[in-house]
Amino acid sequence: MESYAFAAMGTSVECLVDAPGSRALRSGMDRVHAEFHRLELLLSRFRSDSELSRLNRERRIEASEDLRTVVTLALEAREATGGRFDPTLHDAIVAAGYDRTFDELPPDSVDAPASELPSAGGEVTVRGGWIELGPHASLDLGGIAKGFAADRCVEQLAAFGPALVNAGGDLAVSGPRADGPWPVAVDLPSDRLTLSIDRGGLATSGRDRRRWRRGGDERHHIIDPATVSPAQDVPLSVTVAAKSATAAEIAAKCVFLAGSAAELEADSARIPAVIVWSDESVRLVGGLRA
Amino acid sequence: MTDHTVRLYAAAVALVVFFLFWAAIAAKPWAATGEADPRAAAIDRREQRLARETRRVNRVVKRRFAVYAKQLSRRKRAIARRERENAATLAAAPSGSVSAPAASGSAAAPAAPSVSVTAAPPVTTTSSS
Repeated sequence: MESYAFAAMGTSVECLVDAPGSRALRSGMDRVHAEFHRLELLLSRFRSDSELSRLNRERRIEASEDLRTVVTLALEAREATGGRFDPTLHDAIVAAGYDRTFDELPPDSVDAPASELPSAGGEVTVRGGWIELGPHASLDLGGIAKGFAADRCVEQLAAFGPALVNAGGDLAVSGPRADGPWPVAVDLPSDRLTLSIDRGGLATSGRDRRRWRRGGDERHHIIDPATVSPAQDVPLSVTVAAKSATAAEIAAKCVFLAGSAAELEADSARIPAVIVWSDESVRLVGGLRA
Repeated sequence: MTDHTVRLYAAAVALVVFFLFWAAIAAKPWAATGEADPRAAAIDRREQRLARETRRVNRVVKRRFAVYAKQLSRRKRAIARRERENAATLAAAPSGSVSAPAASGSAAAPAAPSVSVTAAPPVTTTSSS
């Protein structure tokens, strides 16, 4: 088993390949590293020089194929989830205080008065090689960008053997190892649960890590499009398995935002999920059994 | 017997006879065999009409509720089917589109993962991203 780790997209990325070490594999890992940084330069909202930041500033740009692909994926997901997954919540998350990388966020401060109330469901048009934003739409591709990068890079590494790419919790798996599925730990408040997964993706959405305070009030980074503010009455975290890291990221966010109906929704949609509640109770749903 | 005593008996008898007549008249013996009170008869008729109307309304409500219950159950099945389709779309659409990376290098279309809880030592960890 060969492993490689680096920092990108504001998180740590870990690549595992079930193959003997070789110069070619090392070179493949380097290419994956470079690909993550290239995608970060396109898709990060925290880099003022990224293509996404330029789009949010200029409102209409001739965009790269990757940005158009990820924006299209996000818009399709918004359509498929009836707006629960919404990539146009950039202004809402900034208004909630998440206006710089998480490492740079002060633990507590006073809100700057917002010049305009943020909104959800903004209009975004992808046509030809262009992307155009409507009047109140700014894009944040956070989780879906990491899932997309993990999916892409795991496919690159799959040429060397069964591979796994973990982009800060958004995890893509190309296929089972020689000795079976990949065992992946799910962080629980006071313990760990290990899931085995043979292919596809795993992702976790939660308010247990990326949280901060503003004026003494606790905030977190998952915005509910219905209220355009950090989601309330939601689980502590939701881990979901799906056909890809991108699909898992979208499903995890949607189940998380279902709030008290999270278990019911995951069960009725047959989405294998681990749901952790505020009282630290852990529920396996969607066909997942202990 | 003196005249005084006779008069006293006569007065007592007359008093008794008077009360007997009064009781007989108050009992209205002619009413038992004669016509019923028209107001009571009207109330009886009205009561019977209302009872018939109640039975008819109950039948209509029961029939309409059966139709409603059938439609509700059909609607619930349609909603459940739509939810399953939406979930399938949600699970399938992004991964179908994620085959964009596949177009740029790999061949395999993503298949549904097989996930279970295991006791094996983990090789990595997922936590809130």
